[in-house]
Amino acid sequence: MKKNRLLFIAIFAAAVFSACNKDFLDTRPTNAVPDDQVFNTVDNAETALTGIWAYMFETYFTFAVPGIKSLDLTSDAMGSDVALTTSYGFRDSYTFIEMADNTKNRVSAYWTILYKTIDNCNNFLSKIDKVPGDDAKRKLLKGQASALRGWCYLTLAEFYSFGITNDPSAKSVPIYTDPANPTTPGKPRSTVTQVYQQAISDLQAAVPLLADYSRSSTQKFKIDGNVANGLLARAYLYSNQPDKAITAAVAARNGYPLMSGDDYNKGFNDVGNGEWIWGQPQTPSQNVAASTFNFLDVSSPVAYYKSFKADPWFQGYFDSTDVRFRLFQWSTSGPGALLYKKFRFRDPGAMVSDVVLMRAAEMYLIEAEGYARSNNNAKAGEVLNVLRTARNSHLYNGGGSVTDTILLERRKELWGEGFSLVDIIRTGGTVVRKPFKSYTGADSIINVPQPDGSVVQVRGVGHRTLKLPDGSAFVKNSPYYLFAIPISEMQNNPNINN
Amino acid sequence: MLQRLLLFLLLLGPLAAFSQARTVTGTVLSAQDKAPLPGATIVIKGTTKGVLTGPDGTFRLEVTDPAATTLVISYVGMTPQEVPVSTTPLTISLQSSGKNIDEIVVIAYGTAKKSSYTGSVSQIKGTELESRQVSSVTKALQGLAPGVQSASQSGQPGSDATIRIRGVGSINASADPLYVVDGVPYGGNLNAINPYDIESISVLKDAASAALYGSRGANGVIIITTKKGKAKGSNIDVRVSQGFSKRAVKDYDRMSTDQYFPTYWRALFNENLGSQDSITAAKNASRDLVGELGINPYGAAFPQPVGTDGKLVAGAKPLWSDDWDKAMQRTGHRTEANVAVSGATDKTRYLISGGYLDDQGIYLGSGFKRYTVRSNFDIDARKWLKIGLNLNAAHSDQQAPPSEDSRSDNYVNYGRLMGPMYPVYQRDLTTGAYLLDAKGQKIFDYGDYRPDPANPRTNLVQTSGIDKHDVMRDDVSARFYAEATLYKGLKFKTSYNADYSSRVGHDYTNPTLGFDAEVGGTVTKGNYRTFNWTFNNILTYETTFNEKHHLNVLAGQEAYKFKYTFLEGTKSGFSVPGIDEPADAALIGGFDGYTDSYTQSSYLGRAEYDYAGKYFFSTSLRRDGSSRFAPDRRWGTFWSVGASWKMTEESFLKNSSWLNLLTLRASYGGQGNDNLGSARYYNYLPLYSVNSNLGLGGTYRELLFNDRLKWETNLNLNVGVDWSMFENRFGGSAEFFVRKSQDLLYSRPKAPSIGYSSVDENVGALKNTGIDLSLHGTPIRTKNFSWNIDLNMTHYQNKVTSLPQKEIISGTKKLMVGKSIYDFYIRQWAGVNPNTGAAQWKYTNPDGSIKDTSNYSQASLYYSGSSLPDLYGGLTNTFSYKNFSLSFLIVYSIGGKVLDNDYTFLMGLGGSAGRAWSTEVLDAWTPTNRNTDVPQLSTVAPSWTGTSTRFLYDATYARLKSVNLSYTLPKSLMEKAHLNNIMVYVQGENLFTLYGHKGMDPEQTVGGTTYYRYPAVKSLSAGINLSF
Repeated sequence: MKKNRLLFIAIFAAAVFSACNKDFLDTRPTNAVPDDQVFNTVDNAETALTGIWAYMFETYFTFAVPGIKSLDLTSDAMGSDVALTTSYGFRDSYTFIEMADNTKNRVSAYWTILYKTIDNCNNFLSKIDKVPGDDAKRKLLKGQASALRGWCYLTLAEFYSFGITNDPSAKSVPIYTDPANPTTPGKPRSTVTQVYQQAISDLQAAVPLLADYSRSSTQKFKIDGNVANGLLARAYLYSNQPDKAITAAVAARNGYPLMSGDDYNKGFNDVGNGEWIWGQPQTPSQNVAASTFNFLDVSSPVAYYKSFKADPWFQGYFDSTDVRFRLFQWSTSGPGALLYKKFRFRDPGAMVSDVVLMRAAEMYLIEAEGYARSNNNAKAGEVLNVLRTARNSHLYNGGGSVTDTILLERRKELWGEGFSLVDIIRTGGTVVRKPFKSYTGADSIINVPQPDGSVVQVRGVGHRTLKLPDGSAFVKNSPYYLFAIPISEMQNNPNINN
Repeated sequence: MLQRLLLFLLLLGPLAAFSQARTVTGTVLSAQDKAPLPGATIVIKGTTKGVLTGPDGTFRLEVTDPAATTLVISYVGMTPQEVPVSTTPLTISLQSSGKNIDEIVVIAYGTAKKSSYTGSVSQIKGTELESRQVSSVTKALQGLAPGVQSASQSGQPGSDATIRIRGVGSINASADPLYVVDGVPYGGNLNAINPYDIESISVLKDAASAALYGSRGANGVIIITTKKGKAKGSNIDVRVSQGFSKRAVKDYDRMSTDQYFPTYWRALFNENLGSQDSITAAKNASRDLVGELGINPYGAAFPQPVGTDGKLVAGAKPLWSDDWDKAMQRTGHRTEANVAVSGATDKTRYLISGGYLDDQGIYLGSGFKRYTVRSNFDIDARKWLKIGLNLNAAHSDQQAPPSEDSRSDNYVNYGRLMGPMYPVYQRDLTTGAYLLDAKGQKIFDYGDYRPDPANPRTNLVQTSGIDKHDVMRDDVSARFYAEATLYKGLKFKTSYNADYSSRVGHDYTNPTLGFDAEVGGTVTKGNYRTFNWTFNNILTYETTFNEKHHLNVLAGQEAYKFKYTFLEGTKSGFSVPGIDEPADAALIGGFDGYTDSYTQSSYLGRAEYDYAGKYFFSTSLRRDGSSRFAPDRRWGTFWSVGASWKMTEESFLKNSSWLNLLTLRASYGGQGNDNLGSARYYNYLPLYSVNSNLGLGGTYRELLFNDRLKWETNLNLNVGVDWSMFENRFGGSAEFFVRKSQDLLYSRPKAPSIGYSSVDENVGALKNTGIDLSLHGTPIRTKNFSWNIDLNMTHYQNKVTSLPQKEIISGTKKLMVGKSIYDFYIRQWAGVNPNTGAAQWKYTNPDGSIKDTSNYSQASLYYSGSSLPDLYGGLTNTFSYKNFSLSFLIVYSIGGKVLDNDYTFLMGLGGSAGRAWSTEVLDAWTPTNRNTDVPQLSTVAPSWTGTSTRFLYDATYARLKSVNLSYTLPKSLMEKAHLNNIMVYVQGENLFTLYGHKGMDPEQTVGGTTYYRYPAVKSLSAGINLSF
């Protein structure tokens, strides 16, 4: 019996010791990797750029903040030409009670996306030189990381202070160029000039690094030389360096001809469009960015919110021959809203649509505005007319301010692509919203012809919000136009206002 | 039978006396309840030679001295008894000495006598659980034990309550207690345990009791012990009950259609005034009203039901008025049946039980069905070897539609937030009559015309019956042990324990109707599998020397592994309606899955010593290694010391005529916490999260890592006194505790501009100080009637004692030295401006002066009271008259505040056309109603429902948690029917609630915030228990 007991003990003692082996406490995740597995070859390091890009575009903060693309929608909701409905989503941006309120989710979301991307770029740039691998690829990745960071700073410069022409030393946002660690302190706000300068130097650094890079036409989300130049063109134009903007814009559109009128009517959902320089493709299993179409698409039944209705006055800026004019249609069900059917889901069943980030038309407009701002009105008109010709619109032949004409053309050409508020802030302009009434003040009754030849009358509905939240009229450089710095930054960054 | 035994004794008795070595075996029982007494001492009279009884009360003693004739059997609190040495198995019943209430409590890795135990432990008996109608054992803990805070925030059948023991010791790290089932930490689903299988629940609250669980017991330990076979022979228990349930408290009062229309008119009118004169504004408001709301319930006869005076047009009557909240609810049915067969033979003890529960929810499409089986076996395989195996298997099907979720298809919010003018079934807009389909059936109205806030194109009343939100769980739990006696008093016990739990989630929305019709329906199906095992090896040595010294030592080793793995996929686009599996859908929307592992390795030891049953000392030590920390920081050492003094054993009190028990005890010790949360197993590693873009692999830095992370430490002091007097009719215990936590594992907020909004760090310290009091009494005890009262109460305070920075603001709370982590730090409501009708909050100017502002984001944050109650607990009264018994439990919570975010949805000012309104909005500001707490209405009003003290309410409440009336049939009747026992009973849960803020259920989270939860239910049921 004693023997039995000893045997019993021996078996369990053995089990005890085997359970205590050393690696028992070393566990590893399966949905994440340590940095030494990322930055061990240049090819693996590339995943760090792909990953932060996917984070930017494919992360829901809320259903109304489906990644960074929704920032463009916010910009247009806060402009003059979108008569937003009360539907879920951008309603509070439209009424100017959201982006000025530092407690709002949307305020914190864009800040978070942009600065997390900046840190990932900082981290990438600090490590990539030491990673073994092909130097040509290293060069290209450095260019892409640098340009991506430049784009983030450019975006920040656009929305957090008034334009550089208004006050070049206005406080904008903090600048970081080194990777963060747990003890990194928050930095103070730099001036708007400094932030644009950071964006420009990042983009300038990127252009030569990307000179030899030629991406596959299915990978238009990758930053190449054209994209970097396009971003640089924006940065120069917005920071009042028109000459440099012209050169960069011309370089950016090289190889991207303006699309045909038919293509303009195809729903702005296909990255294969020859005019798109930069865009994020979407698939049935990757369609977070595409969910911006739930707001932009006002005619596909599958779109949840259909909130981006056009201001009826906006229609008046187009010739009836203009290919863009065909996209207007009055809604005859519910309130008489004006639909502008520019954006339509490509595959409604899968809720898929590619999203556009940069087109040749914008580059023509930057070029034209560059000439106008360098007082070369003839050249400005000439470049503008290239676009107008493509859109089958009447040509500009002097008269009025060419700059104002170009700014209006930007509203017409780029509606829904995110430039409304950017243009208002950088030019020191104002939001313009008028009620949609006849000249007598009576309701505007619209006769809408139907396919069967009958006519339906609707009472046209336009803007609902005609004043700022405090009841005052829209003015130039209203603080309501700017994005607030989120409250979490104010609370946790003691240096922010130093 | 008795005759046979006597004959046997007569025959063998004399023979035994002359044998050389005699073996005496037997069982020691308590005379009062016939329960076995483990740890009773059996000594040969006149010597120090003896043994102790085992956990089942049995003993075995070799008597080698032929002269020995008498054994002395003694047990603390019992009158010692002398019996002659006999080789016949003995059954010795010890009578209580009337000195104490000697309860055996289950503690870490063993049992103890409550009257002398150095630690703090509360025990709840299985019988107390039997008088409850709960599906999860966690819900039964409320009000029964002091120091245990239970928040049953969800009424979803099958959901668990949140338990906090003695306050919250961690800020970010988990504050959940450790659940131990049959001696070993439990990793399965708590709702897989059938409450009816439970023998007792022990709550370990201080270091002396819980430190042996080391890091895992830092937030207290709840030990669940399941039933075992006790009495020889076999016993069959059957229990069946049936009941009904409803919502426990009425929902918020909402406006009728007649109230809604003029109110919305007012919002439109006010908005129009911004750009129009008042006549035009009124005219346009009347004209636009129906269009904005999408429907005219007043019929075609009243195309503009609200006139330009803002009042309903004379004669206008709504043709229908539908209550969607009611339509989403029903009376729930509950059926429960349990059978248990238990018993014992000479060498085995067993229990086999089966349970069935069908708990239908009060909301459509919700419910919980559970099937359980349990088999508990203990076998004396050899004289020196015992083995046991407890197996529990449970299968459950839960229908858990969205609640606790801000989704628009949250079943609780859907009906609550739908305006009353929208019909559930399609109506003739002229007559109000139901429209019927070809078969003469009513047609559900999907409300294409409804504005967005009223969820157009949906009708959950119908689709709740078509869509699925199913959770299927399978749990298997095994507890195996083998215990060998190596030498006198020296035992070795090894046990291997595994908890397997698998959850299959199946969410389906149909392709033709409702939320996802446009994409052809969606299905998400996933399997989430958790497997944990604990392997431990424990040596114990117990001895008594010089009669008065009793020593019990324990040492051992333990290893634990947790593994979670899941896979989940989403598809959409069903080919045809009526089928709901991923195979039936066309388009893959997503596919995901990964595995997490967590391990812990531990060494532990404990020593307990007592002298003469008067002085008790205990100490424990445990070392834990956790895979959550870097190799150089992963080991933590945890310890405790405790002592108690049973004063009533002293000569100066021993003969007291009225005092039966007086014990003083104190303990101190340190425990740890490594639980950063379920998604944070590897935060010491510089990790890149993996994702992808269009088929290309991606990685990115999502979080900042911190390789300096280490154990959070809890230091617990407990001082207590237990007493009992007047023949144990009155007694109680009082305890004072200080629970200090330091190196708190915390997600410290960072400036988000560095790229990360927080980093996990060990920061600061925090202290919980409090008092637990429990009192019991039997004011009346006569032959036929008795009345028992049990009252318990807890008060505690929570304070931050150190922080690495001056203040940390996080959500609705701010951490600051001297303040509680449960102090609200939110905007201060300053009322409605009587002149403008605008909402106002306070703000502090840089010069310190306090002003009002109508700009919410400009308002300053202020400390605004705490969510912690001042006092909480429970009161149980039990009346027995002959065979009748009536008991009721009242739980109460006094003080503290709750932030009602649910209510804010009903308090909009007109920005959400079609959403239901609280009747409080009727009091909105107008030029003639200036003194009000609801601002002026407008369809584009800035939101005023952001977090502020406006929606902070007193959380004080009292609730009649349970009532139980039972009747036991007289013995004489039962004997005729060959039954041991028949009891019939009626039970009620949550029948009555006293509370100030109408509409909200007062049982919310410990943190004091609401979140669109499934409300608590009240239920009434009747049942019968049979035993034969």
